[in-house]
Amino acid sequence: MAAITEGHAPTIAIEGARKQRGNLTQARIRWMVLAVVLGLGLVSGRLVQLGMAETDQTIEGQTRDAITATRPPILDRNGLEMAVDIRVPSLYAEPRRIIDVEEAVRELRTVLPDLDEDWLRDRLTGDQGFVWVKRELTPAIQEAVMRLGIPGIDFITESKRFYPGMNEAAHILGSTNVDNQGIAGIERHMDSESVALLQELGLARGNALTPVELSVDMRVQHVLHEQLMDAMTRYQAIAAAGVMLDIHTGEVIALASVPDFNPNEPATALVKDTFNRITSGIFEPGSIFKTVTMAGALDSGAVAITDQFDARYGIRFGRYTIDDFHGKHRILALPEVYKYSSNIGTIRIMQAMGKDNYRAFLSRMKFDERVQFELPEMRVPTVPDSFSEVGAATASFGHGLSVSPLHMVTAYAAFVNGGNYIAPTLYKRDMAEAEALYERVLRPETSAYLRYLMRLNAISTGGSGSQMNKAAQGYRVGGKTGTAEKVVDGRYSSNKVTNFFASAFPLDNPRYAMVIMVDEPKAENAQSGTTAGWNAGTLTGRVVQRVAPMLGIAPDFSEAVDQQIVPAEVRQLYPEGF
Amino acid sequence: MIRNLNIFLLFVSVVMLAGVYALKFSIEGTASERTALAAQIEDQEGQLSLLKADWAVLNQPGHIDPIIKRHQEELAIGPVQQEQFGAFTALPMRPAKPDTEAMDALFAAIAEGIDPIDAILEMEGIE
Repeated sequence: MAAITEGHAPTIAIEGARKQRGNLTQARIRWMVLAVVLGLGLVSGRLVQLGMAETDQTIEGQTRDAITATRPPILDRNGLEMAVDIRVPSLYAEPRRIIDVEEAVRELRTVLPDLDEDWLRDRLTGDQGFVWVKRELTPAIQEAVMRLGIPGIDFITESKRFYPGMNEAAHILGSTNVDNQGIAGIERHMDSESVALLQELGLARGNALTPVELSVDMRVQHVLHEQLMDAMTRYQAIAAAGVMLDIHTGEVIALASVPDFNPNEPATALVKDTFNRITSGIFEPGSIFKTVTMAGALDSGAVAITDQFDARYGIRFGRYTIDDFHGKHRILALPEVYKYSSNIGTIRIMQAMGKDNYRAFLSRMKFDERVQFELPEMRVPTVPDSFSEVGAATASFGHGLSVSPLHMVTAYAAFVNGGNYIAPTLYKRDMAEAEALYERVLRPETSAYLRYLMRLNAISTGGSGSQMNKAAQGYRVGGKTGTAEKVVDGRYSSNKVTNFFASAFPLDNPRYAMVIMVDEPKAENAQSGTTAGWNAGTLTGRVVQRVAPMLGIAPDFSEAVDQQIVPAEVRQLYPEGF
Repeated sequence: MIRNLNIFLLFVSVVMLAGVYALKFSIEGTASERTALAAQIEDQEGQLSLLKADWAVLNQPGHIDPIIKRHQEELAIGPVQQEQFGAFTALPMRPAKPDTEAMDALFAAIAEGIDPIDAILEMEGIE
């Protein structure tokens, strides 16, 4: 270009070679800048795109964290595992990555033949990113499926709850569903407390969760469960249940109810009659309620332990006459009323106290409300708001009202621990914590009287607890039998009964209270009967005999330990004490 | 001068490039190692959870009890009975002074060749 412009007039401004080159450079720089800007724009555009894209973290509507979330292990009071988490493989498919659905269906069914063919085909067809095929499998099946080498089929490790004790503590633990959420028992209670929140936040992973310590002693629990199972066959009962409480702290040491279920197979919990009879069963308690009447009357001061009551004739209420079962039909002192389980005597004791005072005492003992307890399976007791004359009379020996065995054991704990009501708990609780929750319901002297009465019933001749004491010699057990007739077709039936035995041991320095229930027992053999002393009583004796050494209670055969709990007033009546 | 500097810079950038690439590759290596380790840890944690569950099952009283019952006769064991308990207070106190007469009698008997222990051993059938 420079050569062409040379011959023209000098007036024309000619672009020099240098300038030309400068222009060229500038143009190049512009192009370059444009290219760089475009490049950078491309990069940042891609970055924005990547930032906007949401990766799918959910698995069928749940976060991945919730699936792999663990639950804290549950330990018994000695640190033995009652519930642990195990990692199990779960089979899932990514339908959009499956090439040949038919082949995948055919091959999967060689390993998992119980999968329905049509269901599986339907499941694997489509464009979803994630579908469950089968959850919670064994490592062996995982290995076999992996060997098939089907594309788009893979495993994810899930946490599954496992209960090494199987049926034994079923009603305490409850169970969890396939998503590892508590659906019953203490598992459900834990979720309502804190675990669910942790899982939701995705924090409940790995082994970082602190174990939950329960108050239950698995050794005692095992013995109780075993003995209850034994009672089912021995007495051909339709059900049996038992609960043991530490009377000072309210800790539940053992709680069992049979028939029960296997928490590892939550579906078994849905079988009829497997409900927890201790907390969610309410029954007419029968004569074990007489202890309540005694406690109320003695505590109010309306009667003294040495008072005499006329039990010669039945008490008439209109057309009905209430009489004694195997009655003595003579004048009985208060300890005799208790020992011979006299209905007449108990009614007179209640009447001395007054029916309204008696009803108020039942409220004081919290018989008309739910027991404060962790298990969600609870039923409200049915206790009339006010008593008629006859209503109060039947209530005094445990008919015409229904409470749960947990109510009874809590009341018995208060009766023998010096008169302090303490709500039961399944978590560990020490003395200091318990004392803060104490609610005084009886005077300590009344508690001492009741300890004497309960022990009297076990060792005195004719006492209804003597069957029990045979097995548990030396462990200073005492208690009260209760044979409650069931209502069949609107009438009390004498051959269908619910039997109870409420006890405490060792009575010279009581530490544990227990209530045992046997529902509709039959006589073990021709020599035995169907009343509570024969089944619930002996069962209590056998349980105590097994568990007392575990709980650190040594047998003591010396008569002095029994004599020291005899109140001084009783000595005037019976110098020998029992 | 500038030329030397340029050569130096060129050299440095080549070295840096090589360094950065080496670092990148080593980090990738470490990352995959980490992933493998994490997978291994998870796998082992899974196995550990199973072992722990096994251990818990084996420790359950409900698991041990049937085993004991099965071997009860062979091992001559059973639940503890009340009579098996003793107390320190039940032990007789040590005699205030040694029973010299009995000791003398014992030594005399041994000197004569009669060992009272032999009689007990014979009674028990121990040679």
